[in-house]
Amino acid sequence: MKGMKRVIALAITLAFAASLPLYIPEAFIYLLGLALLFAILVVSWDVMVGYTGYVNLGHTVFVGIGAYTAALLQSQRLALPTLPVPASIVMGGFVAALVGLFIGIVTLRLRGYYFALVTAILPLVFMQTVFIWPDIFGGEEGFTIEHGLAGSVVEKYYAALLIAFVSIAVMLLIVNSPVGLKLKAIREDEELAEAVGIDTVKYKIMAFVISSFFAGIGGAAIVHYRMVVAPDLYDIPLMLLVILSAVIGGLGTIYGPMIGGLLIYLAKNWWLKEVVDVFRFTALPINDDVILYLILIVVAILMPEGVYQGIKEKLKKERG
Amino acid sequence: MEGLSAELLLRIIVFGAVASGIWALAASGFSLIFGVVRILNFAHGTIFVLSAYFGITLTNYGVNPYVAFVASILFAGVFGVAMYKIALSPIRESKVMVIIVTLAIALLVEQILMMTFGEHGISFPSLVEGVVYVAGVPITYKRILTFIIAVIALISLEFFITRTKTGKMIMATAEDMEAAMLIGIDTEKALVITMFVSSILAGLGGLLYSQIFATTPIVSLKALIYAFAIVILGGLGSVRGSIVAAFIVGYTLAITISLLGARWSEFVVLLTIIAILIVKPTGLYGVEE
Repeated sequence: MKGMKRVIALAITLAFAASLPLYIPEAFIYLLGLALLFAILVVSWDVMVGYTGYVNLGHTVFVGIGAYTAALLQSQRLALPTLPVPASIVMGGFVAALVGLFIGIVTLRLRGYYFALVTAILPLVFMQTVFIWPDIFGGEEGFTIEHGLAGSVVEKYYAALLIAFVSIAVMLLIVNSPVGLKLKAIREDEELAEAVGIDTVKYKIMAFVISSFFAGIGGAAIVHYRMVVAPDLYDIPLMLLVILSAVIGGLGTIYGPMIGGLLIYLAKNWWLKEVVDVFRFTALPINDDVILYLILIVVAILMPEGVYQGIKEKLKKERG
Repeated sequence: MEGLSAELLLRIIVFGAVASGIWALAASGFSLIFGVVRILNFAHGTIFVLSAYFGITLTNYGVNPYVAFVASILFAGVFGVAMYKIALSPIRESKVMVIIVTLAIALLVEQILMMTFGEHGISFPSLVEGVVYVAGVPITYKRILTFIIAVIALISLEFFITRTKTGKMIMATAEDMEAAMLIGIDTEKALVITMFVSSILAGLGGLLYSQIFATTPIVSLKALIYAFAIVILGGLGSVRGSIVAAFIVGYTLAITISLLGARWSEFVVLLTIIAILIVKPTGLYGVEE
């Protein structure tokens, strides 16, 4: 009965998402597609951080690797064979997963803070490659590619919806499988998990590789969506946006980070732009980023356990 | 040929000393605050840059550079304490929240600096003028001064932590906060002092940096990354490890820039650190978490 309800809810959500282009202007549909792809990044971060408790601050490494892999497979810059678009997206995921495997083997022997610090410097290592070899990676400006996900904006939106749906569904199945249970055991008490015979290193690396794979898919899909690859996909502001969305949505819930990702992305790229216009008459140094960061700081101080938990607890209190 | 390589060597020695000194200041402050309060302060590089911009602005308004120098260091300390009191103290228990908030503060200040001062590099006026020639290689006095100030500051830090009553109070808090509280140490006060000292070190580093190199808002990220790298290498929470690691990083940096070019600098430094971590995952002088 519960399963049936879920299928119906899912069908309604998908039908609703699919019908949006009928009554929403194209410029907004374009943003919505990007928001869906961004949600993949947030959910894939949650698979690692929310389920194992290890704070990965280098998630954008894999977004960037997926993005640049796919872009290079679509251009003549490295004399690589040009693949069809879906194949280059999958390749982006695989290369990201491979790098994730290597990084995971090295870093997942580290605990807690060390893991966070080491992963925090990784995006900068990879970002430097873009500047060291501008002939290949296009330097600061990046480069454009020829083949996108689809021709028109509405078709692109449907492609993004499909990619996001499949990616998030697969991740959801993984965390709800016995593997997910073992990851949660690691999160709750790593020593205990080890004591009951779970090969914690193996499962942590597995979660990290899965997380990297989908980050790569997301990055590659974003490149094919907006037709430009640039170092912003490695950069710290993107990382903060991912962390923020996941924490606001509620770590370790998949659905929460997905919704958080959609809302934060749209808020930043659509709603905040209009807020900034309000301040335009003042001479203050304010832009959309400044407002976003200010809101973030205030919200974090007021609700340190996360907005999701914060609201949940408030509701509980009100109910008595 | 021989003369050329001797010259290169001398350049590397001088540049390495200056870079090591500056990054040791930034990293020891970062390490100190982690060791005592267990927070990863992503806004540490921001304090580094902010004090430089504060000092430059003061001198632009005609304030004497020496006065501006001291005022900026104090400003850094006050900024750090204010940040701790307002934003970090309420969320100290949550590791992820501290990262989010300090990272947000870092990006916020970077944006505001970018909009106020622009992207181009600016410098703090030289505290001393003049050049000394060593074997035909010009070495500016300000580089020598920078190194001397850095060494004095680091020795004072070591003295402060190990010899003074306040320093011992801080170390006791770092060791075991509850036990420190039980024997009557005002731990909150210890944390505030730690934040102040940590920020002063960052501020001093930033001022010395901007005296020699062009400072841009993005330098905050650079300072943060070097502080990270050094602390990872030296071992989290170990101030002495940070200082040793700073010299390793400073000289790796100097050699890379001299032999390969500036654009390789960060890449090679970070790769070196990752390579060392593969061999020794807890850093040179790692402490228990």
